[in-house]
Amino acid sequence: MDTKRTAATEDELGKWETQLRKGGLGLAVLATLWTGRLYGLEMLRRLEADAGLSVPEGTIYPLLNRLKSEGFVTSEWVEADAGHPRKYYSLTERGRVRVREMAGAWKGFARGLERLLAPLEGDPR
Amino acid sequence: MSRDAAMAHLETYLAQVRRNLKGLSEAEIREVLLELRAHVLDRVEGHLTPRTVETALAALGSPREVGRANVTERVAAVMEKDRSFFGVLAAVVRLAGLSLAGFFLFLVSLTGYGVAASFLGVAVLKPFRPGHVGLWRTAPDTYSMGALSHPAEGQELLGWWIIPVGLVLGLAIGYLTWRFGRFCIRAMVRRPAREPGVSPAV
Repeated sequence: MDTKRTAATEDELGKWETQLRKGGLGLAVLATLWTGRLYGLEMLRRLEADAGLSVPEGTIYPLLNRLKSEGFVTSEWVEADAGHPRKYYSLTERGRVRVREMAGAWKGFARGLERLLAPLEGDPR
Repeated sequence: MSRDAAMAHLETYLAQVRRNLKGLSEAEIREVLLELRAHVLDRVEGHLTPRTVETALAALGSPREVGRANVTERVAAVMEKDRSFFGVLAAVVRLAGLSLAGFFLFLVSLTGYGVAASFLGVAVLKPFRPGHVGLWRTAPDTYSMGALSHPAEGQELLGWWIIPVGLVLGLAIGYLTWRFGRFCIRAMVRRPAREPGVSPAV
């Protein structure tokens, strides 16, 4: 019974964490493009290396397409040395403005939450 | 030989993804498949073998999930640009064949808009056929409403009030159906993937 309850709680926690991370994924993807253009796999590797985010690879392209549709990124096919063309993404001016705004909102939210969560640190209850 | 087998494996996967891209234009499908092909070729980093391709494809996800994610995101993106009644309806129709949820949304939307159109039709027709449009009580617990060529015998309850009642109910139901469509499509985009979700790297 207790095992079942624990499993259900962990499942709920997992779903919540997935939603939380998914909410921040748009910002994270835009942020990877801040320093220059990247193709999909480069973005995934940067997300994992810099932010510890392991994103299901099949989901990055639909998300990039939405960001492109919203005018935040632009893309171009480039013939690469690898022997096949690569689709590179870069931030538009609108995307640069948006990622700054999103970063500000995220930092404000995180600071507020950290203050709220501070009493939990080291409290055994 | 191994290289050919690897490419054949990749092409089989892409053909399966293509089957799950219903609702997208041919240009959109070509773009999706080109990008997936480039992704896999990048990921194997020159070591094109059936095993490396299999690993890359496993990381991408099943053709069904990859196809659905692409269609849902693209349809939702188009809807966000055109949030009008027609924009949302077009998105609902495009998603109808994608999943059970899409089909359910289509049925609910069809019913909602149908009922809304019926109420609006009644309101519009009343001035032209006043004796044939109304709400009748034909028995203690039996009501009949609409534009009927042979109105039921019984007491007509609303009279000319059927015009504002029909307009208000028609617009309200149409509006709620439109809102429901938008809400469901956004929820389909937000829905976490059943296969490995966004997770901290281990």
